[in-house]
Amino acid sequence: MSSRGRGKWVAKSAVALAAAIAVIPALWTLLNAFKNRVDLVTPTPLLIFHPTLDNILYVLGRESVTAGLINSILVSGASVLIGMVLGLPAAYAVARYPIKRADDIQFFVLSLRFLPPVAVAIPLMVIWLDLGLYDSRVALIATYTLLTLSSIIWLAVPAFKRVPKEVEEAAKVDGYGPYAIFFLIALPVASRSLIGAVAFSFVLVWNEFLIALMLTTSDAKTLPIVASELTQLGRDVPWGILNASVILLSLPPLLFIGILSGFLNSVIKKKA
Amino acid sequence: MKSKTSLPAVFISPSMIVLAVLAFVPTVFAINIAFQDKQLSSEDSHYVGLANFIALFSDRRFLNSIVVSLTWEVMTVVATMCIAVLLGILMFEAASARMRNILSVVFLIPVLMPRVSAAFVWKFAFHPLFGLAVYPYKAITGQPLDLLANPSTALATVAFVDVWQWSLFFSVIILHLLESLPHEPLEAAELDHARTWERYAYVALPMLKIPLISLTFVKMIESLRSFDLIYVMTRGGPGIKTETLDMYAFSQGFIESGNISYASSMAVLMMVATTIAFTALWKRVHA
Repeated sequence: MSSRGRGKWVAKSAVALAAAIAVIPALWTLLNAFKNRVDLVTPTPLLIFHPTLDNILYVLGRESVTAGLINSILVSGASVLIGMVLGLPAAYAVARYPIKRADDIQFFVLSLRFLPPVAVAIPLMVIWLDLGLYDSRVALIATYTLLTLSSIIWLAVPAFKRVPKEVEEAAKVDGYGPYAIFFLIALPVASRSLIGAVAFSFVLVWNEFLIALMLTTSDAKTLPIVASELTQLGRDVPWGILNASVILLSLPPLLFIGILSGFLNSVIKKKA
Repeated sequence: MKSKTSLPAVFISPSMIVLAVLAFVPTVFAINIAFQDKQLSSEDSHYVGLANFIALFSDRRFLNSIVVSLTWEVMTVVATMCIAVLLGILMFEAASARMRNILSVVFLIPVLMPRVSAAFVWKFAFHPLFGLAVYPYKAITGQPLDLLANPSTALATVAFVDVWQWSLFFSVIILHLLESLPHEPLEAAELDHARTWERYAYVALPMLKIPLISLTFVKMIESLRSFDLIYVMTRGGPGIKTETLDMYAFSQGFIESGNISYASSMAVLMMVATTIAFTALWKRVHA
C-alpha cells in the first residue's frame, strides 16, 4: 500500500508543478508591470521591489495603445455581433430541422479553419487595396466575420441539440410558430451554452494577429499589433512598458475564463 | 407540425452566402495572383503561368520552411497530446473534486492569453540575462543560456510555448472525459489487480478513442497557426531555423521583396495541402 501512497504523492506534485507553470508566467508578468527598469534588468530576478505605476500610466497614455484598444473593441465587438445574428439562427436550423446536407454544411464550416491565415490574408490585402478599404475597420470586421461566424455555428449546433425536444414540442402544442419557438424557447433555454460559444469567438478574434498584421498599417491597427510593435523595439527595450502592455492585452480574454470553463464542463459532461 | 416552414432557408441562407463569399473570393483571388508576377510596389502585372510554382521547388528557403513546418507540426501535436493525457490522468487520480474545479480554471489561463502575449512573456522568461526561466541554469553554471539564439534549440523553445498553451487546456478536457466514463469497467479492472497504468492503457483510454482522435485533429489544425509565436519570439531566426511556411510567405510578400505573387503561390500550395490532408483525415475518422 505504501507504494500506492508514494504514487499519489508523485502525482500530486506533478499536478502542482503543472499548475505553477500555468500561473507563474502570467503572475510574473503582472509583477514586472509594476517594476522600474533597474529592477527588471537585474541578473537575479527580484520578488521584492519598489512598485511603480509609471509603466501602466505610460501604456494607457500612449495614443497608439488607446487607438489600438478602441480598434480592437470595435472590430471584435462588431464581428462577434454579426457572427451571432447570422450564426445562431443558422446553427439552430442545422440542429433542429432535417436538412439534407446538414453534414456537408458542418464540414464546410469546419473546413474554413483549415485555410491557412496567410492564404486568406494575402489575397484579401489585394482585394481591400483595390476597393480602397485597406487599413480600415470595415475591412477587418468583414474578414473577422469569417472567423466568428464559422466558430459560432460550429459551437452552437451542439448547444441547440442539447435543448430537450419535449420543451419545443410542448410550445408547438401551445400554438407557437417555428420562429416564436426559436426566439422564445430555444434561444433562452440554450443561452448558457450559447454565451460560451460567443465568448469563445470573441477570444478568437481579440487574439488574432496575422490577418490584422497584414490588413492594417496605421488607422485600423488592433491591440495585438501595437503590443507586438513594442516588443520589436531596439536595444534599449522598455521591458516594464512591455509587461504592462501585455497585461492590458491579455485582460479581456481572461475575463471570460469563468464562462469558458463552465462551457467546457457542460459540453463534455452532457455529451457523455 | 406544419411540415412546410420557411425557417431553415431563412435561417441558413444568409450565413452560408456570407461564408461562401468571404471564403471563396479570397481563395479564387489567391489562385489568380499565384499565376501572375504581381509586386506590392507596382500596379501592373502579367500572367506568368506556373513560373512561381516552378521557382518554389528550387528555392532552398522554401524547402527548408516545409521541413520546419512539418517538424513544428509533429513536435507540437505529439507533445501536446502526451502531456495532456498524462496530466489529465494524474488529476483524475490525485486531485480532489475541489482541486479539480480550481485546476480546470487555472489551466485555461495559458490558452486564453493572446499568442502575442504568450510569446512575449516567454521571450522575456528566456532572456539570457534577465529571464526567470533560465535563471536556475545561470545561477548553477554561471553561464548565460540563450535558447532562442541557439540554432539547435530555437524551434523547440518556441514549440514549448505552444505546448504550454494547448496541453494544459487539453488536460482539462481529458479530465472531464475521464469523469464522464462509467465506473464499472475501471472498478472491474481494479478487482482484477490491474496496475494503475494498465487500467488507463487498456480500459480508460481505449474507451475515449474517438474523443482523443478528435482532439488530436483539432490540435493538428491549430498547430498550423504558428505565426504569432514565431514572429514575436524569433522572426524565423536564427538564420532560417524557425522559418515556417507562413513566416516565409509573409517575409516574401511583405518584408523583403513585396513579391505578392510568389507569396501567394506558397499560400495556395499550403491551402491545397492542408485541405487535402484534413479532408482525408476527417473522412477517415467519421467513416
